[in-house]
Order: sequence, then C-alpha cells, then structure tokens
Amino acid sequence: MATTDAAAPESAPDVLSTDDLRVTYGKVLALREIDLTVREGEVVSVIGPNGAGKTTLANTVSGFLDYEGSAEYRGREVADRSVSDLVSEGLIHCTEKRDLFGYMTVDDNLRLGAYRHGEDADERLEYVYDLFPALAERTEQNARTMSGGEQQMLAIGRALMGAPDLLVLDEPTLGLAPVILEDISDAIEEINDEGVTVLLFEQNVTFAMNHADRIYLLENGEVVREGSPGELRGDDYIRESYLGG
Amino acid sequence: MGLNLLAVAAVGGAGAPAAILQSGVSNIVVNGLIISALYAVVAIGFTLIFGVGGVLNLAHGASITVGAFGAYYVARVFGMGAWAGLVAGVLVAAAFGAALYLAMIRRMEDEPIMVMILTLVTAVAVEQFVLTVEGSQPKAIPALVGGVTRVAGTNLQHNLVVVFAVSWAIILALFLFVNYTDAGKALIATSMSRKGAALVGIESDRVNLATWVIAGALAGLAGVFLGSFQTAHWAMGRAPLVLSFTIVVLGGVGSIKGSVVGAYLIGFLEVITTRVFDPRLQTLVPLVVLLLVLLVKPEGLFGRELAEA
Repeated sequence: MATTDAAAPESAPDVLSTDDLRVTYGKVLALREIDLTVREGEVVSVIGPNGAGKTTLANTVSGFLDYEGSAEYRGREVADRSVSDLVSEGLIHCTEKRDLFGYMTVDDNLRLGAYRHGEDADERLEYVYDLFPALAERTEQNARTMSGGEQQMLAIGRALMGAPDLLVLDEPTLGLAPVILEDISDAIEEINDEGVTVLLFEQNVTFAMNHADRIYLLENGEVVREGSPGELRGDDYIRESYLGG
Repeated sequence: MGLNLLAVAAVGGAGAPAAILQSGVSNIVVNGLIISALYAVVAIGFTLIFGVGGVLNLAHGASITVGAFGAYYVARVFGMGAWAGLVAGVLVAAAFGAALYLAMIRRMEDEPIMVMILTLVTAVAVEQFVLTVEGSQPKAIPALVGGVTRVAGTNLQHNLVVVFAVSWAIILALFLFVNYTDAGKALIATSMSRKGAALVGIESDRVNLATWVIAGALAGLAGVFLGSFQTAHWAMGRAPLVLSFTIVVLGGVGSIKGSVVGAYLIGFLEVITTRVFDPRLQTLVPLVVLLLVLLVKPEGLFGRELAEA
C-alpha cells in the first residue's frame, strides 16, 4: 500500500471550501461550524467514528442536502446548482452504499457513469477496465450479483466515467477484504496521480493516513483536529483513540 | 375487468362490420393476440409510472377517457377524421399526464399515500367532468379503417388489425427506447436507484415527467382504440385501470416485459374462458390465476425491474 505524506502546494487553488457549514435534521444539529478546504490535486481525508457526520458532510458538499453557512465548489455555492449541474462540472460522489444499478450489467453501469460526459466515454471505459481488471472480466455481469469488493470497484469506476475533477469517496473500504483493500488503495493513488482531487471519508484511519495529504477528524458533527498525517500521528489523542496507542 | 372486445366484436360495435369470431382455435388465437396487445399498451404505462416514480397512478384510467374524448372531439365534433382523432387523443392524454405530474405529483413525491389519493380524486373528477359535459350517452369514435378480411376461418375487422399492429409497434418502439437509448437507460436507471441516477447526473424530475408523458400517450392511444371499436363514455377508464393493476401485479410491478407477458396471459385466459367455458367467468378466472401466481411468486412473474424489459 502506497504512503503519501506530502501536502499539495498551498498555492494550489481551492476546489472545495466550506465556511461555518451547518446541517440540521429537523431539530438535530448534524454538522456544526465545519471549515474545510480541499485544494487542487490533494487527497484530503475526513476521518471519524461511526455517526460522526462523515456521510452527512459528503452528501452536503455533493449537493444532496440543504445547509446553512457556505460550501463552495470551484468558487460557487453548491446550493446554487443542481446535483446534475455539479456532476457536469466534475464533482462526482461515490457513496457509502454505492447506489449501483443492480439489474444492469457492469458495462451499462459504467457507461451510465458518463451520462453527462459522453464524448470520451470509450476512452475512459478503457481506463477504468485497466484500473480494475476484475471489472473487465465481468462486463456482462449484473451488478447485484457481484461481490462487495467488485461492487466497490464498479462504484469507483462509474464515478471515474463522469470525468471527475473532485472525487468524493465515502467509506470506500467499508466491509472489504484486505486483498481488495489493496486494489482500492492502488486505485486511489493512481486516480490522484492522474490529477483528480480526492475527498476521502474514512473510518479506517490507517488507510486514510496512508493516502491523505491533509486530514480532518470529525466527531459529533464538528471538526476536532486537522493537519497532515504526520502531525496527527504525533497527536496523543489520535494515537490513543484511533491508532491503538 | 375485461374490456368486452369479444362481445363487441361479435355483435359489431360502433359501426364495425360483422363479427370477427366464428368458432374454434383460430378464433381464440386471433382474438387473444389482438386483445392482449391492447391490454399490454394499457398496462405498460401504468407499470412505467410505478416502476420509475413509485406512484400507483389511479388516474391511469382517466387518461384513457381523456384520450378517447380528445379523439372523439377532433374526429367527430370537428370532423377531422379518425387518424387526426388518433393523433389528438394521444397528444391530449400525454399533455394530461404531464399536467398531472407538474401540477400535483411533483409537489407530493415524498408522500405516496397523498399521491394515491390525489390520483384517485383526479380520476373521479375526470369522470364527473365528462358526465357533466357529455352526459351518460356513449359516443362513437370512427374506426381507423373499415372493412373485414377472412383469416383462417375468422372474419377479422381491419380496424382491429390496425389496433394490433400499432399496439405492437408501440411496444417494440418502447422496448428499443428503454434498452438502446441514453434517455431510455436513464429511465431504467432511475427506476432502480434514484440516488444512483442522481450521482451520474440524471435529472429524475425530467425522467419522471417523460414517464408521465409516455404513460399518458399510451393510455390515450388505448382510449382511442377502445372508443373506435366500442364507444367512449364517462366511465370507460374504470375497467382498464383494474385490468392494468391485475396485469402489472401478475407480470411484476415495474417490468415492461412482465406487463406484456401478463397482458397476454390475462388476454388469452379471458378469451379461452369466454369461448370454451362460460363468458360469465371471464373476469373471475384471471383473478384466480393472479392469486395463485402471487401465492407462489409474490413479486410477480418478472420481478419489478425495468431492466428486464
């Protein structure tokens, strides 16, 4: 598994930034005072325990949830655009539940990923099959009949078909076997090497630290720590609570 | 439940020529093929709306009535002929579907019970409107084509041949649309996963609107056909609505292929029951078969996925 511990230049433009972002479910405040920045070319990870608000944050910056405060993608408020417009502009979200088209083949799932970017679909399809050879062997298999790891590859592959500028990955390692974890890990490295900015939401702190340039720790809906993997590894609280001492 | 095509055809409905039926297997096959194609057209629209939007559209029968009366006005009242009436019936019902979605369904999408009530109220309102404006006297829509051909010992109305041919042309066109076009695949994708569809940039609002327009057009077409070999009247949408529900549940909610197969099962069952056993059992037998299928395979014959269309 590759390890990254060098942040992208601070001069790189912001792809995504939030300022005092708040999200409520009815009367419950799910996210509060979230200030987060993702710069071009970075892998930024948001870590935290189950229920911390990671998926809520992922859904919010991707345009699926209403919010207060500010969340800007490429300098414009997320809320000012529809989800489909955000997809057109390269903000592609790969959800925790994957949300695949279960009764469609691998090939159809991937081609639908290019719904908004059909012009280079064949080229990108080839890229995805190169990235995940397991998918290339199952082009006509229905998504619902695949293993969890294969479905995760398909979900990431479908997201890549949308020509992402910012790829939001929500818990891509959840429930996966170690051997599959390695494949996903390599894929994230390669995707980032291709110039795609990645916002990675992860409960697997070790995995996140191995990939991220910068990390935000989310607990009970608020950011309680932020820094480079190196800085957070040196943090007693992080070590004791998330890295097993 | 049945649309009484057999009875009408046998006595010559709405200015139609002589009966298409005489006796024997060829009669059963010919009538089964024709009536089932029409049943499929009626049911596919119903299943599309349920499969894509999750809406049990109780106003589906009202769309049939709207289509039939749209055709009646253009063809008879304005004297523009049967084919102009057909086009008008389809367009008016499609517009009715679009209006239903834009004015009501879209605002209540997350409240399925409210949506069901709204469509039920719409269905009753359409019936009462037609009853008030046109009265209870049935209206005849001219046959699309006249004449009779004798096929395998069966007198076949040319009008019913057109109904069969156009119905199948529409079914095949729809099949090709959902399986081989981006818009069709977007429709299927939305039926499988609304969130997944949004993630790839499909606008579910547009897909839903398209679905209501397509379903309305199909219902309008069925209304024109029904009115052309029977008559158009204020309550003509009731039987097709119940029929749609039976076919769709039998074939699998949301499955186009299931709707076609369900339509043919119900259609042939009705024809066989009427011809071989007792016409009074025409409605009962398909319902018994439906119950048996649901006991053995509750999801229907083909599940609920439009992908299997």
